[in-house]
Amino acid sequence: MPTKKVVDERIAKFKNKGKDLAKLREKRISVCVQLRKAQKNESFLKRRNITLSSLPDEEALSPENNTVSFRIEDIIKYVNSDDREAQTRGSQAARKLLSKSHDPPIKEIIDAGLLSRFVSFLLMDDEPTLQFEAAWALTNIASGTSWHTQQVVEHGAVTAFINLLASPMLHISEQAVWALGNIAGDGAAYRDVLIECNVIPALLARISPDTPVGYLRNLTWTLSNLCRNKNPCPPLSAVQQMLPSLIQLLHLSDKDILSDACWAISYLSDGSNDRIDVVVRTGIVPRLVELMNNKELCVMTPALRSIGNIVSGSDLHTQIAIDAGVLDVLPKLLRHPKPTMQKEAAWALSNVAAGPCKQIQQLITCGLLPPLVEVLRNGDFKTQKEAVWAVTNLTSGGTVEQVVNLVQSGALEAIINLLLVKDAKVILVILEAVNNMFMAAEKLGETEKLSLLIEELGGLERIEMLQNHSNEMVYQAAHNLIEKYFSDGDLEEVQVDTTQSGFELQVPDVKKTFEF
Amino acid sequence: MSQTTEPSNDGAAVTEEAKITTAEKEKKADEVVEEEEEEEEYVVEKVLNRRVVKGRVEYLLKWKGFSNEDNTWEPEDNLDCPDLIAEYLQKQKSAHEGKRKAAGDTDGDESKSKKKKDDNEKLRGFARGLEPERIIGATDSTGELMFLMKWKHSDEADLVPAKEANVKCPQVVISFYEERLTWHSYPSEDEKKDDKH
Repeated sequence: MPTKKVVDERIAKFKNKGKDLAKLREKRISVCVQLRKAQKNESFLKRRNITLSSLPDEEALSPENNTVSFRIEDIIKYVNSDDREAQTRGSQAARKLLSKSHDPPIKEIIDAGLLSRFVSFLLMDDEPTLQFEAAWALTNIASGTSWHTQQVVEHGAVTAFINLLASPMLHISEQAVWALGNIAGDGAAYRDVLIECNVIPALLARISPDTPVGYLRNLTWTLSNLCRNKNPCPPLSAVQQMLPSLIQLLHLSDKDILSDACWAISYLSDGSNDRIDVVVRTGIVPRLVELMNNKELCVMTPALRSIGNIVSGSDLHTQIAIDAGVLDVLPKLLRHPKPTMQKEAAWALSNVAAGPCKQIQQLITCGLLPPLVEVLRNGDFKTQKEAVWAVTNLTSGGTVEQVVNLVQSGALEAIINLLLVKDAKVILVILEAVNNMFMAAEKLGETEKLSLLIEELGGLERIEMLQNHSNEMVYQAAHNLIEKYFSDGDLEEVQVDTTQSGFELQVPDVKKTFEF
Repeated sequence: MSQTTEPSNDGAAVTEEAKITTAEKEKKADEVVEEEEEEEEYVVEKVLNRRVVKGRVEYLLKWKGFSNEDNTWEPEDNLDCPDLIAEYLQKQKSAHEGKRKAAGDTDGDESKSKKKKDDNEKLRGFARGLEPERIIGATDSTGELMFLMKWKHSDEADLVPAKEANVKCPQVVISFYEERLTWHSYPSEDEKKDDKH
């Protein structure tokens, strides 16, 4: 058995083992420095007057960091020169300045007149490094304000970038995707300019089973920007072109791809019913409902938004969503810890409740009344607003039995408690719900019972007070209710057969019977 | 939810009649007279509103050929215009039950419309998304075997764990090792001396 000493000696002969840490570190640094020196010497044999920029750029001071920061004057010199290497170095330096996290000097670069040079570099297929640096620099300029993006477009970058999509160098093609995403994201105008220039087929051609995930992420994001913005919406022909690929992307598993693909669908479904129709016809709704259940918030949010848009469409669209199982997912989302999730879920629910009584029945059967009442009681105000709409819509389109169901679930009590809010619109919607409940009660001949119930729940007091509300419509609506249903005296109620009343204050477990 | 406003009355014995404005009262009386005098049926142009009085449903009607000043409330049973009533009810329904499109306020949850590509200064190793070119050094001073990786299209090399490199770019790793293979011959004299201890 070898002694420790022998082992140590042998190991010491091996490359790095046995040497002390300081020496190893020294060695590492010297390797880096050698690399840097070699490359620098290669390109700057003729140029000796490079100066390191003064602060605030801390890059220059770090010994381990080999990025050399240039002043803008130097960058201009190099970029405008005729030497390819200098152009590359200058463009790279510009790119690095433009990639700073804090205050990139976009305006200075633009004012220096470098944009046309950068755009011309995009065309140099024989100089990929130059192309790449210029593309990156232009990407970051286009990521600024509308004016910045405008400068990029007006210097002719659009066609150059679209052509770069076909580059055999994947990283260059990807950079072009990114730049085009920034241009499309500026607004409907440039979005449509890109579409006119046939950007979509060029983009879709890059999707293949071999496309790396990082590339697909950028591509999906750019596609989503091409779906984005209204006034006007993207041209229908463009949408039709993009949809099949979006559907494909929605079946992948990367969360960033799924997130942006869902955002794209949410933009496409945010519009008139015929736009929703185009989306629904792809058959994507079940997958969207599935994605509402995804563990990633960045996927759930746009999936829910898309479904919310879809159920704001026709009854048919809503039915498709219901058939896909949306009503089974909504209760969970109504109880989600994030208030915006609850709000969006309540909004979607309110639109389902605005449908025919068949759909309202499905809503009730799937157990959506208890979580609805929960958010009416405990949700944040924006969520409560949406929930109030759900109640009113249900009272409007629901059958008498469904309205009774609603009252018995505690919704009436909850909305009465909301009569104290400052928002006049909300109060009006609540009073409408109460009015609708009375209309249902009339059919059962139980308006007096409902009046009693409302009184017991403290609603009469509040409605009476609302007769003094500053908003004209509110005090009128409150007054009408009092007049119609709460005035004393000679209201002779037509008696109906003594079945169990739907409108008495009841424990929820008690069964009810109706005679129709 | 529009309805003709009626003056509210306090007081105990408020009769139904007192609630109706005098103008309407007159009209009502007139109409009763007219109905009795003539067999003519007046044609309802439109149903404007609905209320329940004394347990009976009444509709506010606009009469064809008459101005709005002549609108009257009529008991449901007296009417023979089921279509107009249905139309009124349907309009009430759809006005209230309309679907509501997205509000447009997303509370900042939406995807960014523009993105700046940051310098990969903060990203290290394979996270920078670059393609490996060659390994130029190795160290285990961190406790784990690391390679110094030169990346394509970048002059900034950095450290990656050997475990990761072995999977992501095995050929590059193999090249590194092959370049550094040395064949040792052990000096026999020294070894014998040690063994004696």
